[in-house]
Parts: sequence; C-alpha cells; structure tokens
Amino acid sequence: MYLAIREMRFAKVRYALIATIMLLIAFLVLFVTGLAKGLAYDNAASIENMSASHFVMEKEASHRFTRSLLEESVLSQTGKAIGEENVQSLSVRMTTVTNAGAEFKLDVTLIAVKPEGWLMPSVSEGHAITSQSIGEVLVDSKMKESGIGIGSIIVDQGSGLEWTVSGFVSDESFSHSPVIFLNESDWRQLQLKMNALKGADGAASDRSISAIALRADKEQVEQLAAAMSQTEIVTKSQAIAAIPGYKEEQGSLTMMILFLYIISVFVLAVFFYVITIQKSHQFGVLKAIGTRTGYLVKSVSLQMLLLSVSSLMISVLLVRAIEMMLPSGMPFQLHVSTLLMTCGAFIVISLVGALLSVYKISRIDALDAIGRTTA
Amino acid sequence: MTYRLIMDQITHRFEDGGVQRTILNNLSLKVAEGELVAVLGPSGSGKSTFLSIAGALLAPTSGNVLLDGESITGENAGELSSIRLHQIGFIFQSANLIPYLKAEEQLMFVAKQSGIHSSLAAKRARALLEKLGMSHRRGAYPEKLSGGERQRIAIARALMNDPAVLLADEPTASLDAARGMDVVQLLASEAKELGKSAVMVTHDERVLPLCDRVLHLDNGCLIEK
Repeated sequence: MYLAIREMRFAKVRYALIATIMLLIAFLVLFVTGLAKGLAYDNAASIENMSASHFVMEKEASHRFTRSLLEESVLSQTGKAIGEENVQSLSVRMTTVTNAGAEFKLDVTLIAVKPEGWLMPSVSEGHAITSQSIGEVLVDSKMKESGIGIGSIIVDQGSGLEWTVSGFVSDESFSHSPVIFLNESDWRQLQLKMNALKGADGAASDRSISAIALRADKEQVEQLAAAMSQTEIVTKSQAIAAIPGYKEEQGSLTMMILFLYIISVFVLAVFFYVITIQKSHQFGVLKAIGTRTGYLVKSVSLQMLLLSVSSLMISVLLVRAIEMMLPSGMPFQLHVSTLLMTCGAFIVISLVGALLSVYKISRIDALDAIGRTTA
Repeated sequence: MTYRLIMDQITHRFEDGGVQRTILNNLSLKVAEGELVAVLGPSGSGKSTFLSIAGALLAPTSGNVLLDGESITGENAGELSSIRLHQIGFIFQSANLIPYLKAEEQLMFVAKQSGIHSSLAAKRARALLEKLGMSHRRGAYPEKLSGGERQRIAIARALMNDPAVLLADEPTASLDAARGMDVVQLLASEAKELGKSAVMVTHDERVLPLCDRVLHLDNGCLIEK
C-alpha cells in the first residue's frame, strides 16, 4: 500500500483526471438510476404499493388491467380455493375528469376496491370511504395542484357521474396519471351508466371487475391456474410491466444505465492498462529487487478501489444535493438500498477494469530490468 | 576465505529458430567477501544472461548458484523473489529508481518489503544516506537528482537489506568519467567495508583499476586476461 498511495501523491493530476471521469460517470449512473426508479414508481405506484403477489386477469387481456374483464363469480371461486381473506377484487379504468365548473380536464385512473380490504391505501388527509358511502372518492394528493380539495366535486367526462372528494391518498398513480379510489357500489354504478350509454339494455353485466388480487404462494397459484381456464394468473411484476408505457420507459433507461456501466469498465480498463504498459519497465525493476507480483497486483487494485470509492462518495453527495434542488413533481427516487446496490456494482466494475492490468503485471518479467538503459 | 557468491558450472542454452545456442558454457565463478569483480565482454557475449542467473532472475539450464553457501536451484518464483529481496542488492543501468518515491522512501520501501520494523528501517536508511553523503537529498524525487546522485541512492537501496551479494549492471553507463569513478569507488569501498561479494558488468575500462579482479566473458566462459 506504500507504493499505491505514494504514486497517487506523486501523479496527482493524472489520478485526479481519472477520478473526475469516474465521478461524472458515477453521478450519471446514480442520477439515471434515480430517474428510472422515480419514473417506475410514478408510473406504477398504485400497483407497486399493493401487497398482492399475483393478479387474476382475463386471458385475452395480455396482462393489462385496463383490458381485462372478469365475472364476479371468479372472485368467489378463487376465494374458495385460497381463502376469502387472500383475494380482493380490483377494477381499473382510465378516464378523463373535470371539476364541477369544468375549468380543467384531468386524465386519471379510477381504481375500485373494497374500502375495508387490503388493497385500499391509507388516507393521508380527510376521511376514508366505506362500502356504504355513495359518491365519495379518495384522490391522489397530486390532484391538489389542480385545485381539488376535500369536498370538491369531480365529474367523469364519459359517464357524467359526479363524485365528492372525501380525502387524499399519497403516491397513488397508474400509467403516470393520478388515481381516484372508489368503492365497489360506485364502480357498479359507473359500469351501468357506461353500458347504458353504449346502447346496451342497461342491465347489470356480470362481467364487471377487471382483476382479482391474490396473496398466494407459487403452489397455490399453480393449482388455481390449472382449475380455471378462462383466466390467466400473472405476477405483480408482469402486471406492472404491462402498464402502458412502463416497459418502453424502463427499457430505454435501463439500456442507458447498462451502457454507462460498460463505458466505465472500458474507460477504467484502458486507463489503467495504458498506465501499466507505461510502467512495465518499472514493474520489472520492482520485481527484480524482490517485490512479489501479488504485492503489485494489490497495489493496482487498491488504487482502483481508492479512486472508485472516493469518486462514488463525492457523486453520492452530489446526487443528494441535486435531489434536494429538484422540483417536487420530478419523478426521482433513490432509496438507500438502490444507492448501495449501484455503488456496489460500480466498485465491482472498477475491479473488473483492473483485471487487464493485473494480467499484464503478472506477465511482466523481472528480466526486463537487466541490460536496458531506459529509466 | 568466505565466498558469498559461487557460480558452479553454469550452462545456459536456449532454442533460437530451431538452433540450440549456448550462451554460458560451464561457467564457474567464486567471489570472496569484500571483493569487487568486474566482468567485461562485447555486447551479445551473454553479460546480461550471466547477471540474470547470478541475480536469481533466470534459472540456468544446468549448474548451481550458491548464495552464502546455499543453493538457489529449484526454488519457486515466490522464494526467488524473497531471495532477491534479502540476499541480493541490484544496481541497474541509469539507477532505475521508482520515480514517485523520494530518496529516503526508495530505501524504506525495500525495508518494508522485507518486513524490517519501520523505526529500525528509518534509522538504517538515515545512516546509509549519511554514509553515502546523500542526507541533504533525502526528500528529493529521482527526477530532481543528478545521475551520480541517483546511482548513490541506488547503491544505498541495494545495501538496505544487508544482502550477501551486490550485482551492478553497467552502473556507469549514463555517467561522465568522474562521476563513474566516484560510483565504482563507492561500490568497491562498501563491498570491502561491509563484506559483500560484488560483481559489476561493465563496458567502462576506466573504472577497472578500482576492481579487485577483472574477468572477460568469452565464448560463454569467464577468463582472466
């Protein structure tokens, strides 16, 4: 370690340059990761927050809540199979709403669940809705920005139905739109109205819910899947990935992150490799005077580690600082666990970058030191 | 008389384009304690190979190298490293100091490698620098030292771990005549005073009067002229 630290002290500019490059890349990786996570959460928070493990959907719905329609009998059927307490009905519909004065329009997602069930998020402001309440809804707190408060009237553009906001929930969104929670009877009301508008006979359709949320283990799911032919059971992550725009958004961000990692491996590997080649005569001398290869390898790895850890620390501070400056509406989310994972991946990658140099060092012959005039 | 370096019937061959070339042929050499031996020879005569084998950098095809009476034949790479560290002091052409270590640190580094306690090492390093008249330059990087000063530091580095043998590879190659004489003088006197067996490979005939013996490498053998 004697050599590693003294060399960095001596060649400050050289190492400061590479540390700066690493810092910038690490910052970008952290920032894009935060953005990806933030967007993912903003996109799918409502589903993400549900404690369900799987969802039962219509077979033809290709994993999409908004396309799926199930008969309510499926609910009781699955309830019997894995226990009433482990199933919840879930209905999702994307629509446009206005306020009472029709001053603005908002794209929202309506989600209907049993208010007393385990899919209902806790209320952050105002009071909760119950199965008995009529025309009362909970809305995502982002809708406050549009001037909606407790007691505001919301009008659904499609059906003309009116709801009163009884409270707010936080961080509830679906496909980047805020979510409005209603109870099942209001949902049925909505279905009837929509059917009537469509020119159907107005009778209650028996296909009224979108999906069924399950809390089940793999074995139960397999049994259930075998028993039901008209439906498909999808995992939570499959369901999230099928939310419109989710896969595309995450895919491009993930590709960016992946490329940043690959770029950093190459930048680091090339930098250290060039330095190593430049120093190969010096390594030969060191070996000739009795320095073990292992010591030299440790020395290079330590340099790499010092560089990556220090650049990471600075970039974490930078990202945290930037995060505080970001506007509140900006979807950015960097939990400590994600942060640690990213930092860990970066350190591993920097050590991978050192491998080429390590290989080179191990090949350098001490004989190089003899009979050569170059310093 | 004690011979700290003994090379016993060393032969070294290698294959070059299907032709067996013999570089060293049954070469034997004994260097006594306190003795400085100069080895001369035209380029291509095998001086580097000779020095590499004496310095435990290269295993000969056959024959034995004994340091302080102990054979180093058949040791693995790690053990050879340790032998070079503890029993051999190298002085290279143009010093070959580590560019990012200050003069004193060059000595501290080899001491650290051999596990000498750092306070003891610091004392030794200071004493050596003092003795070689380099105390005032102890905090200087090699790039700030003159050629002669660098070679002095290189000699100090070679002596740091108190080796049995000193091996110098054309130590005067990059020095002017006066500096060259100084450096070889220093090498001879240190070898004498500290009881090392010293071998110097050189081209420089001016420094030969300072050596105890002068040998010529000819056809893979050492001969006295």
